[in-house]
Amino acid sequence: MLSVLFVEIRKLNRSLALLLALAAPCLIGIFAFFNVGRFDEAGPWDRWLTTSVGLWAFFMLPMSVTALTALVAQMEHAPRSWDHLRSLPVPRWRVYAAKLAGVLGLVVLMSVLNLAVTYAAVELAATLKPAIRPTGQPDVAATSLLLAKVLIAAMLMIAIQFWAAMRFASFVPALALGIGGTFFAVAATSAKQGVFFPWQMAVNVMGEGWRHDTALALGGGLGTLALIAAVIHLSRREVL
Amino acid sequence: MHAIETRDLTRRFGSRVAVDTVSMTVPQGAVYGFLGRNGAGKTTTLKMLLGLLKPTAGVACVAGVDVARARLAAARQTGALLEAHGLYANLTGRENLDLTRSLLGLPRAEVDRVLEVVEMTADAARRVGGYSLGMRQRLGLARAMLGAPPVLILDEPTNGLDPDGIADMRRFLKTLTERTGATVLLSSHLLGEIEQTATHVGILSEGRLVLEGELSRLKADLAPEIGLRIDDAGRARAVLETHDLTFADQSDGLTLRLRPGQDHEAVTARINRDLVLAGVAVFALAPRARSLEGIYRAVTAAPQAESQGTS
Repeated sequence: MLSVLFVEIRKLNRSLALLLALAAPCLIGIFAFFNVGRFDEAGPWDRWLTTSVGLWAFFMLPMSVTALTALVAQMEHAPRSWDHLRSLPVPRWRVYAAKLAGVLGLVVLMSVLNLAVTYAAVELAATLKPAIRPTGQPDVAATSLLLAKVLIAAMLMIAIQFWAAMRFASFVPALALGIGGTFFAVAATSAKQGVFFPWQMAVNVMGEGWRHDTALALGGGLGTLALIAAVIHLSRREVL
Repeated sequence: MHAIETRDLTRRFGSRVAVDTVSMTVPQGAVYGFLGRNGAGKTTTLKMLLGLLKPTAGVACVAGVDVARARLAAARQTGALLEAHGLYANLTGRENLDLTRSLLGLPRAEVDRVLEVVEMTADAARRVGGYSLGMRQRLGLARAMLGAPPVLILDEPTNGLDPDGIADMRRFLKTLTERTGATVLLSSHLLGEIEQTATHVGILSEGRLVLEGELSRLKADLAPEIGLRIDDAGRARAVLETHDLTFADQSDGLTLRLRPGQDHEAVTARINRDLVLAGVAVFALAPRARSLEGIYRAVTAAPQAESQGTS
């Protein structure tokens, strides 16, 4: 399994998927820099870090996952390399499981970069404008925990996007699904039904109580099951 | 044990029968030309041999292993170059090969070996995105040869290549068995390609295997022809009517078809003598062996005529 996983990682070399994984958190960093800079007074570190995680969970994560899964899948769909991969003496579920692990790894990388780039952006803004230097200490552990919860709650959405991107040779169905899901999540943020909407679960986890718990349980639990089902389905189906 | 064997192999897509009870045998060490027009069922057959499609009925075996029952064991005996090469444009040629090498658990030196076989060592550090189609095909061939599998399945390896690329690929294919010791199953719709490279041939028409055998024997078994250029085709026909031949008129003369087994040299000499004695001017008289194209046309004509008649 490890060799298949390393192969997936090596495929990312000079790929658009890797470029996206690096670029998306930087956009949040750029936003954080200007957002902090527009104030005249200092604010607490936690405000900037939580804002950054909120942006990530609310909009950037679903859009990035949509693009990322499509790009990773197109690495095989575009040169039609599924036939080659599936004809090798390697169990097919390992090929798809490794791809999934690669996608999850990139999402984790983006989450970590999100935190790091936000920290760097706020520091840079504070260096250029000392009056806004944040108060207190950045609580990296709490922010990391929040990011981890966002990731767990987003698992169901990741599973759906992963399955759609791998299943269809065209990137259009996966992209339409991702854009549509993100649109409804943003447009109907406070809707009660949003608790059960996969694209909204990542942001729901930032609240408290029922919404938070449901997002974690449904997103993480159903998401894990959906990921396993996706791998089984993809490895068993015929690619015509 | 044959390198490849299928028994009544069938694959349906809905109501359409793509491959219809195909029983083919590829002897070890052969270069087996798998011929048929586009849509004849060649790729579907190859995909079943590679375990990419499941047969609706019948059995496909590679090196004695039933592909449907033991895909991984069969895949270890097989290297494949498919119509879509499936190379990663963002990686170099060497990196592309190294990915498959890792998946197969082979030593690093194996990449150098196959690069040398396809004469791509000098270009291995370049990104595949900058390769010509011919270079991609050669790299695909190198990838198929990783681990020296005893059976190589090549699906239309000259498709889309320019004349130089085709000549290059033909040169590789001709010596492939000598260099690797592998049995090669080579699908193509280009008759000339197969005629120049294959030792055995199987012809697929509308999903059915209509002819199979050793190419040289097939050619020998089929009657040779004699091309005749004369001044008066009508008189020539009259003179040669007593001979056991069939005739086909051409714009500049006659084509005579001998029966299988006839001594064509003796018949040629007799025809020449009789025509000259009868006062027919003979400008040219050329015996010629039947080409693969002739064989192909003959065996694929029947199913086509049948299907036209029933439509």
